[in-house]
Amino acid sequence: MDQVGPDVTADNHSRRYLIAADTGGTFTDLAVFDTQTGETRFGKTLTTYGDLVAGVIAGLEDTKVRLDQAAIFKHGTTHVINAFIQRQGARTALVTTKGFRDVLEIARGNRPETFNLRYRRQECLVPRRLRFEVAERIEGKGEVVQPLDRKDVERLIPVLRAAGVEAIAVSLLNSYVNPIHEEEVARMLSEALPHVYVTSGTRLSREWMEYERTSTAVGNAFVGARMSEYIAGFFSELNDRDFRGRFYLSSSSGGVITAEDAIAQPIALVESGPVGGCIGAAAYAAALELPRIVAFDMGGTTAKCALVEDGRFDVVSTYWVGGYERGFPIRTPVLDIVEVGAGGGSVAWVDENKRMRLGPKSAGSDPGPIAFGRGGIEPTVTDANVVLGRIGSDSFMGGRLLLDVESAKTCISEQLAGPLGYSGPDAVDRVSQGILDLANVTMAGAIKEITVERGRDIRDYQLFVFGGGGPLFAAELARDLGIEEVVVPPHPGAFSSLGMLMTEARRDAARTFLSALSPASIVGAQSQFEVMERELRDSMSAEFDVSRICYLREADMNYVGQSHTVRVSLPPELSVGAVRSAFEREYLARYGHSNEGMEVTFVALRAGGVVPTARPSLEAVKWVGEVNAEPGPSFYRQIYFARAKARLTTPVYRRSDLPIGAAIEGPAVVEEYSSTTVIGAGDRLVVGKLGELRITCAINRRTERSTHE
Amino acid sequence: MNKMLASSLAVPAVDPIELQIIRQRLIAIPNLIEKNIERTAFSLLVQEYKDYAVGFVDARGQLVTQSRYSLPAFVANALGLGVRSGLAAFGEKAMRDGDVFFVSDAEVLGGHLNDICMFTPIWIEGTLIGFFAVIVHWIDVGGATAGSCLAPTATELSQEGIQYPVMRLVQEGRRLDEIFRLIAKNTRFPRLLMGDVEAQLGGCAMGRELVREVVAQHGQAGILAAIEAMRADSSQNMARAIRAVPPGTYTASSFFDDDGVALDQPIKVNVKVVADGETLTIDFSDVSDQVPGPFNSGRDGGAVATARMALKFLLSSSTPVNEGEFDNVRVEIPDGKFLSAGPEAAHGSGPNTHASVVDTILRAFHEALPDMVPAGHHGIFGTHTITGVNERTGERFLCMDAMSGGWGAFANSDGPGPFRSTAHGDVRDVPVEIQEALYPYRIETKRLREDSGGPGRFRGGLGVEKVYRFLQPLTLMNKLDRTKCPPWGLVGGGPGKPAGGEVIRASGERHPLRKGILAVGKDDVLVISSGGGGGHGPASERTADRLNADVLEGYVTVEGALSDYGIVLKNGADKGQGELPPA
Repeated sequence: MDQVGPDVTADNHSRRYLIAADTGGTFTDLAVFDTQTGETRFGKTLTTYGDLVAGVIAGLEDTKVRLDQAAIFKHGTTHVINAFIQRQGARTALVTTKGFRDVLEIARGNRPETFNLRYRRQECLVPRRLRFEVAERIEGKGEVVQPLDRKDVERLIPVLRAAGVEAIAVSLLNSYVNPIHEEEVARMLSEALPHVYVTSGTRLSREWMEYERTSTAVGNAFVGARMSEYIAGFFSELNDRDFRGRFYLSSSSGGVITAEDAIAQPIALVESGPVGGCIGAAAYAAALELPRIVAFDMGGTTAKCALVEDGRFDVVSTYWVGGYERGFPIRTPVLDIVEVGAGGGSVAWVDENKRMRLGPKSAGSDPGPIAFGRGGIEPTVTDANVVLGRIGSDSFMGGRLLLDVESAKTCISEQLAGPLGYSGPDAVDRVSQGILDLANVTMAGAIKEITVERGRDIRDYQLFVFGGGGPLFAAELARDLGIEEVVVPPHPGAFSSLGMLMTEARRDAARTFLSALSPASIVGAQSQFEVMERELRDSMSAEFDVSRICYLREADMNYVGQSHTVRVSLPPELSVGAVRSAFEREYLARYGHSNEGMEVTFVALRAGGVVPTARPSLEAVKWVGEVNAEPGPSFYRQIYFARAKARLTTPVYRRSDLPIGAAIEGPAVVEEYSSTTVIGAGDRLVVGKLGELRITCAINRRTERSTHE
Repeated sequence: MNKMLASSLAVPAVDPIELQIIRQRLIAIPNLIEKNIERTAFSLLVQEYKDYAVGFVDARGQLVTQSRYSLPAFVANALGLGVRSGLAAFGEKAMRDGDVFFVSDAEVLGGHLNDICMFTPIWIEGTLIGFFAVIVHWIDVGGATAGSCLAPTATELSQEGIQYPVMRLVQEGRRLDEIFRLIAKNTRFPRLLMGDVEAQLGGCAMGRELVREVVAQHGQAGILAAIEAMRADSSQNMARAIRAVPPGTYTASSFFDDDGVALDQPIKVNVKVVADGETLTIDFSDVSDQVPGPFNSGRDGGAVATARMALKFLLSSSTPVNEGEFDNVRVEIPDGKFLSAGPEAAHGSGPNTHASVVDTILRAFHEALPDMVPAGHHGIFGTHTITGVNERTGERFLCMDAMSGGWGAFANSDGPGPFRSTAHGDVRDVPVEIQEALYPYRIETKRLREDSGGPGRFRGGLGVEKVYRFLQPLTLMNKLDRTKCPPWGLVGGGPGKPAGGEVIRASGERHPLRKGILAVGKDDVLVISSGGGGGHGPASERTADRLNADVLEGYVTVEGALSDYGIVLKNGADKGQGELPPA
């Protein structure tokens, strides 16, 4: 976009603000950092579905920041994932190799819901009548077996025009090893149909597997045609308010990219929003020297987690739009975030065998929990927190939403405690605690799954929590996972937009590189990396200060004969010995065994280019309010604790009253706008140097309701 | 049931919510191990085919919970059978902490010799809590043909490889090297197989440790109570489902082409289901006798496994498998049938019959549960194996490729697919690009087979057509079937097109494809098609909108619309556009 010229500098004196706007599923969050005063401000509005820009502008008004004083505007958006989920994309056609028109529909023939007779995948984004074949053939090593028949392409042009297609994906067999035909087809179609959005699969992914790459190309074309409209719309709104800074979008791999990149490669924005929190977590982990953390984000409708090691997170190369079970894959680097639960809205119920169950149904934000008084009638995790006194009935959202504790109690009593046979004065408390325990075990199970899958031991990690619900669960979840320390950053309820302020510019490239590890393949890999790095540098030079570029080199590798690969971070100096030991270290960590003497091979090479951009210092965001010299509790509340099996008179602190170094012994509650931290007896909370709450958990591996009686 | 109640009374009461928490933790364990095995295994059979299962089995050898993506054939049977054979052979006391056992004995598992069940006891403070078990299809265990079970014309079990009676692989934590060497010496692919064995062994050990952790958290009484509760719930869930089946006797029939040895002798699948409101009896008394070729299964790997699979599909599709689900299910079959064969019979292709047997059982339920049962699906494994020594690399290779096919229509929807069969779950095709990068042949076409879905008010799903061109002399092993008994329609719907294929020699000579081993040469071409699913309801009742859409998309051709639906559509405008107009 020409509006963002390279002449604009981020540290221009009159442009003092860095802005991050994250349009999420329920809320649009904004964070604004003032580079002159070091102050951070937040805005929060409901996401407006028809018009995502409107929500951002409304939130911006909350912060009272003038756009003409903004140097950088970073935007995380649900636009791409919404377009997929609501199927509101372009009328898209697919052009492929003769004989392979149905690759998209045949997929891989698998049925992940093994015993479901009615199982079917979501319908293809391109119907069969819009899937076309051209005569050409490249074989598995990249040789041209049959030259491209240009007449076939020419004959297609009027057909595509007549069909009124708005976007075309070109994906030819074996193009990952030689894209010459694919590029030629894409070029011919772009020239003949200048108003049609054309994507070729190998521009997005140079990796093998025809279904996955075709699906990637189709997904990109489907959302791509509308991406420029969205960005142009966003831009004109910003320009109307005299914005003259740089505009970036938050990509799923954890960096920011330019508007041009976002338009060419919109699938890079598929998880644009949720990455913000992880980036923030990584920034804190680096600043606080926390070597291994689990970033845990719990909101009203989902709980997600990611592993951050040495301030870095993993990026995976395949994302399933709509889920693995029924959705479709796109090959795009996505920060490795996994959904681990349904959040505060999960509904508890009693099944036919009189067992309490939790989820998968969620009350979400509409009708929401019973206690919100918006028509919810089924008990949720949030209701259990309210009933137990963990969430203050009059302090939720700074008192803006009063909670109906009595209705929540009545429903839990009637729908759960009664049918389950609990009686006595503490029946509702015990069942409510049971809801939290079930939520905990479900989330803990999912977190263990992602750590085991990656060959990690969860007990080596610290739990870093954010989102409205994260700090509520943190101490209990940590106990269940065997984790000793929990960290709650400043502003946990607005953390994802805060994190987005910290993102750097990042682009990624990858190539399938099938070559056994040898001195010759090291030379080949080295030159492939140099080519990719040159491409990354060139593609970023117009927009970013590439004199500060850092490269990341990774390889997908395995033992000869395996089909799954391990992602290995490569040393700066490539050599057979160094690569092999990096591979074996990673393999051993992941699988617990390595196979000495077995030949090792490269499957793919991955390069990342990262350029630092202006970002707030964490020192600057630590102060969350006025400092009270003698911090004491604001008041006391009766809260039920599982380990005590009773309600305890518990001090409630305001977070803004707690200075650095303050220490609190549990049980205690720390409240702030849009989040509540609960610690139990034996837990100890200390306010750390960046204003973070550090909770040391009393580890008790046996649960209170031990069966040894 | 009574025995179970008695044993649950012996366990002290556990808080009902804690019971749920323990259950949740136990269910999660096999799913964790599954992920690890899939990633650590070496052969494509494990990684892409999911030809394994992972489960926690109680101290008596009864399955408690099993991984979610396991192959259906292993449902609630194989893991427990393996463990029970160990208990019978060694006795509980001799099965020590740190031991790992394995077994492939056809007399025990009733399957082909490639399926090896490995298990390890979980001892805690002198109590046997249960076993952690992993079954994996080993890529090759010797025998006449590469891949062992793949021999299409084997006539004796001993031609299908080495048979392992239940024995130790690890003794109290010490690896028995001579057994590892024995295994490595009895396979054509020692590198791949030993990698898979390590993954399987690692899975057993990891599962054992994770179960220990649950016991450490909740105590022995808690875990034992949870095991009993899981069984009781599973039993009750299935009992409720069985009560909803109207009492009566229901039958259905289908047949296979032949066993590859006694050519053109169909193998009959006549199934009778008897429901009395309390129990279900699946009666296979009238199926064909044990056959000379390799399409046999033992009673547990054949009759019992298929009956259980069908009931999971129909009555209990969403819960993890537990032995208790089958408390009220009876399986009747005399010895010596192809689903209850003796241990001397060739078993290699036994599992290939499962999909159609399951489908025939489902068909028998149609009269009782008309809205729940779809028309027939393509019904076969659809595997063909290409093997040889790659002239480019000098390495022996084996690729087991497979066909997806159409699934049957329901009373209210078209048939899904193409998917693999009811005997497969999360089993993925091997991508064309992987095959072409590694093996000396090309795949020239992989596309939907137009007009193959059975016509009907609701149409069956479409089959697939694939064309291979061989670039050097190779060996093709093939088990094509159901070419004569097409996937059936229901309620007046038409059958899907049956599977078929041919080899076209470079010379132009054509051989119809049938079961067997075939040498193919450079530039020979294999054309192979999978069946479409059956239709539901009369074709004449298909709405014009649906038929038009089918023709527009090219699922039904203009010719097909005429021959199958009796509708004349004008050529051109209604024709699918994916075909290029003529030059």
